[in-house]
Amino acid sequence: MLRKNLLTTVAAMALAATSAMPAHAEVTIMYAEWLSSLVEPGIKNFEEATGETVNAIKLPGQGYDQRIALDLSAGTAADVIQMDSFMVSELASAGYLHPLNEQGAGWDQFQYYQPGLLEVASYDGQVYGLPTDTDVRMLWYDKSNFEKAGIAVPWEPKSWADVLDAAQKLKDAGVQYFFQLPAGTKQAEAATMQGFYMLLLGADVPEGDRNRLLNRETGQWIGDSPAIRRTLEFYKKVYGELGMPADLNYAADPGVAVREALANDQLGIHASGSWEDACLWDCNGVNLPTREERDAMVGWTPWPGSGEPGAKATTNISGGWTIGVNAKAANPDLAFQLVTTIFDVENFKAWTLANHRMAVRTDISESPEYMEDAYLAKATALAADTTGRDTVPGYQTVSALVQQMTAQILDGAEVEDVVQEYHDALVDEFGEDKVITYE
Amino acid sequence: MSLMKNQANPWLTSNLLVLGLGMLPALLLIGVLLYFTAWAFAFSFTDLALVGRKSVEWSWVGLQNFERLFTRRGFLESLWTTVIFVFFSAIVGQSVLGFLLAALLRGTQSTIRTVVEVCIMLGWLLPDIVAAFLWSATTSQTGLVNSLIIVPLGFPPVNFINDYALPVVTIANIWKGTAWSYLLFSAALDSVSREVVEAAKVDGATPFQRIWLVMLPIIRPHIATNMLFITIWTFTYFPLIFAMTGGGPGTQTQTLAVFLYNQSFSRGNLGFGSAISVAMLVIVGLLSLVYLRMLREPK
Repeated sequence: MLRKNLLTTVAAMALAATSAMPAHAEVTIMYAEWLSSLVEPGIKNFEEATGETVNAIKLPGQGYDQRIALDLSAGTAADVIQMDSFMVSELASAGYLHPLNEQGAGWDQFQYYQPGLLEVASYDGQVYGLPTDTDVRMLWYDKSNFEKAGIAVPWEPKSWADVLDAAQKLKDAGVQYFFQLPAGTKQAEAATMQGFYMLLLGADVPEGDRNRLLNRETGQWIGDSPAIRRTLEFYKKVYGELGMPADLNYAADPGVAVREALANDQLGIHASGSWEDACLWDCNGVNLPTREERDAMVGWTPWPGSGEPGAKATTNISGGWTIGVNAKAANPDLAFQLVTTIFDVENFKAWTLANHRMAVRTDISESPEYMEDAYLAKATALAADTTGRDTVPGYQTVSALVQQMTAQILDGAEVEDVVQEYHDALVDEFGEDKVITYE
Repeated sequence: MSLMKNQANPWLTSNLLVLGLGMLPALLLIGVLLYFTAWAFAFSFTDLALVGRKSVEWSWVGLQNFERLFTRRGFLESLWTTVIFVFFSAIVGQSVLGFLLAALLRGTQSTIRTVVEVCIMLGWLLPDIVAAFLWSATTSQTGLVNSLIIVPLGFPPVNFINDYALPVVTIANIWKGTAWSYLLFSAALDSVSREVVEAAKVDGATPFQRIWLVMLPIIRPHIATNMLFITIWTFTYFPLIFAMTGGGPGTQTQTLAVFLYNQSFSRGNLGFGSAISVAMLVIVGLLSLVYLRMLREPK
């Protein structure tokens, strides 16, 4: 009984994963529920074309990253796997993924992928995943609540002070969730990318990567810097001084909770990304309001920099998702065929346009339908000045530590202590010589 | 073995082969349990990671992980949260409530008893995830508690998960687990002979005295057994809290099980995660010893 309970967390998950696996050879795929509208038509086309059956394992978005990492390391993952691009190098360096360059060379549509975006899903010169889309990050806001708070729309904040000022006005106007800034471990990667990194990039000058988590030149993680401290101070202002309720970040399903808050007119500013053009209502693009209705309801603005001398005026960081093949796939060629069927231009283009995703392939991004989309044109303008995530091994751990930092700020911890712990944890993970500090 | 020989069927004891074959499934099960425990124990001395290079090229790091349990923030805080959760949710909440319901419903009309039993069984029978969403909805600002109690009384709606996360998950877990204690105590109280209770009544004992001085001492072993079970369960309990709050807001409801999950699967540090689980095993083991002593008759 005692042991059984101790093992519940690990063994039950592993067993659940194994029991979900079929006993006989067929192509299996794992994907998140919100990508159904891209994956499912691809599965159907693949089954019709090959006569094979596909065992589709659809998983909730909540906890998806952990589930994929766990299944791959336990050897119980599907043949084809959807994964966040930040995990690719980490999973590839552990030998869990199958390289795709050779098979890609034999696929006529492989040439259209933008090299920079393939790089994000590469490790050691080999491509391990094909990107589904890329993204930019910005501040979304509820127009009716802005009017209620007496803030001019379109809103164009020029510095952090402007953002905090708007948050204060929204709070005074009685908007419950006046500034939803992703924080804490339950938000997972969203806390790192949509919150922390967007602030960090504008918190100090870009020289020497003083505004990042990693010095890309030397490959050292930054354990303490003015930028990290300013970013945490900002979190402290929002959740401490202004008293923003933190519960959306810890709801049973944070994504649903944010959508609900928007529907109930309780949301002020929401730090998120370009996918929200669909995801604020439905990630799979079903039942979307018309363009006019959406524009009347919400607007968006680039994230301003802190206003520190020499810091960027606006910030942006791009991520995106990928689909790759398990190193243990029984039949890698068949698995890759499923990947290419999902990404076949007809299916891929339709999904990209319907969901207003940012295209990763020139045959789609240079098509007239894509170029004429006003929302995408504006969002793509942000991408001109974007920066990539630190897609190097170790990033996943660092991201988790960043999330812990924000969680401790929510607890009311002091910035000084939180940074000290972060620094120590980085040294624990990577060793003294891989961690630097900036004065 | 000698004890078994005296009691067992002589045909069995003379056929050691058959006896061995009969024991095989049990031995296999024990072997599997030991294997997993040994695995966690061994890896608590390594820097094994879930993904990345260290998942392939891990190395032995001695007692470093155990050192970090005490020198890094997280473990002790989570231990304290777990202690509070176990104490209020299991020991006070489930046990006391379960016993009171069992004592009060003894000998009452079957209809009332059935209604109450169905109600508390519902909590026990619902899957954890369903219960988590149910409680999240109930305690939300537009939920049942606010719209039925707080707002009609003239107060502004309370954001329970944000302001009182630990009490909310504690109460949710009481609601979820009381049925077990209730059933166990009902069965235990049924075994107390009526004559003893009647005799106490004749001697002029109040209802409270009858419970405190007569029934409780008789069912003491059952109480200890129940405590043993629910303490272990609650100490390592994961799904309800994880689904409701994910350990937050901040780290308010980060019990050891949630901390273990975050360290092992979000941070990907399986070695450190194993050290946490070994520490949990030791703590629960010590608690079990205390309860097992309680089971013994006082001298």
